[in-house]
Amino acid sequence: MENSTSKTISRWSLFGPPPILEGEDAAAYDELVGRICAAVKPVDVIDEIFMADVATSEWEVLRWRRLKLSLLRARALKALEGFLRDKLDYDLYREHFVDELTPILQDNLAEDQAEDLAQTLAHECARNDPDAVDKVNHVLAGIGLEMKHILQRGKTRKAKELTQQYVRRESDAVEFIDKLLATAGVSIETLTAEALVKDLDYIERIDRLATIAESRRNASLHEIDRRRPILGETLRRSVQEVEDSEVIETTPAKGEALLDERPQDQS
Amino acid sequence: MTSDRKIKANRANAKVSTGPKTHRGRARSAKNAFRHGLSVPSESDQALCEEVQALARQIAGPHASAHIQLLARRVAEAQVDLRRVRYARQQFLSEALAKNPYHYEPRAVTRAKMRIIKHFLTPKLADIPMPTLIENYLTTAPEGPTRFATVLLKETKRLLALDRYERRALSRRKFAVRAFDEVRRRS
Repeated sequence: MENSTSKTISRWSLFGPPPILEGEDAAAYDELVGRICAAVKPVDVIDEIFMADVATSEWEVLRWRRLKLSLLRARALKALEGFLRDKLDYDLYREHFVDELTPILQDNLAEDQAEDLAQTLAHECARNDPDAVDKVNHVLAGIGLEMKHILQRGKTRKAKELTQQYVRRESDAVEFIDKLLATAGVSIETLTAEALVKDLDYIERIDRLATIAESRRNASLHEIDRRRPILGETLRRSVQEVEDSEVIETTPAKGEALLDERPQDQS
Repeated sequence: MTSDRKIKANRANAKVSTGPKTHRGRARSAKNAFRHGLSVPSESDQALCEEVQALARQIAGPHASAHIQLLARRVAEAQVDLRRVRYARQQFLSEALAKNPYHYEPRAVTRAKMRIIKHFLTPKLADIPMPTLIENYLTTAPEGPTRFATVLLKETKRLLALDRYERRALSRRKFAVRAFDEVRRRS
């Protein structure tokens, strides 16, 4: 069985290269082909053609489903990140603010005092110490930045971090985000749906491609079904021929004559 | 209804427009009619002809009658056409996905980015470093699933054209296979 399957797969080069795009798993495609071959058990080239069609269409169906899922997931995460950016309290991202501010201060304070002072100043500024805030504002103004930019960077970093923790289902992050969502009266589904409004064209297009691939796969399966009785007949005839040739082999001389007499159009 | 004035203006403009002038433009316009070569029948290409023959021989099997061979050839022709369409689509998608990521950025986003860049290039702001958030926005292009989805959306017309070829080849093959099976069943 394995031998005939690999023979079938090697003959598929006649039906074109495997429909694999960059980034797709060629081994997964081979596995799909192997499974289809094993399930359908092709008996002639046309059967193999339809099987190759089923494999190609099924691979496309999987591709479009994967793409849709990835798109939905990406949008959901982006929406969650945006939601968190809006809702995070300063206390939650204070440390990230310090992390963002410290290297900026280190780069822009006098070299001899930069190392220690930057860290202290950033922490004091984060605690809202008026002198530290003034000093930081002065440094930032010199390089065309404002405090709000650094706060925004810290908030964005924290939101990203929380989102990643949520994806990994870390219990603290999940609990915190679920609570935040409940307080705001929204759910992750609502956020995704809102974000998807802009992407409906994409989703619609992917759905359409998936539908086309599904209907083509089903049409190929239907053709295989339709051919089964014919294949059954062919198989029965083949079996009969094998039985006949066994009789022939016992009487070689007569057998050779019989073969010669066989009409040329027999197939 | 188009006014006489407009018609005259259109005609005058058409006379001025004499097509591409540069060598590159002319070379490109010379290939305008060629898209994918899928409308060219397989018998007009030696390699495709051989491919069709090889497949037809496999379909018909040994000792096939002339009629069976003819029907097998029809199946093979449709199958080879189908392979060509699928290959063309795969090549097209592969090339589209390998293109510069900004190539498929929505026009509205490109316009918004251009406005921001122009704003930051004014003498008043030229010496001020660009805030990271804005820099990130300007340098971010569609990636991953978004990029693939954007390619599909932007290339809908081309993909639909390829789909039409595929549909026709599938239909031709279906009827060719049925005719082949019917004759074989009767023989």
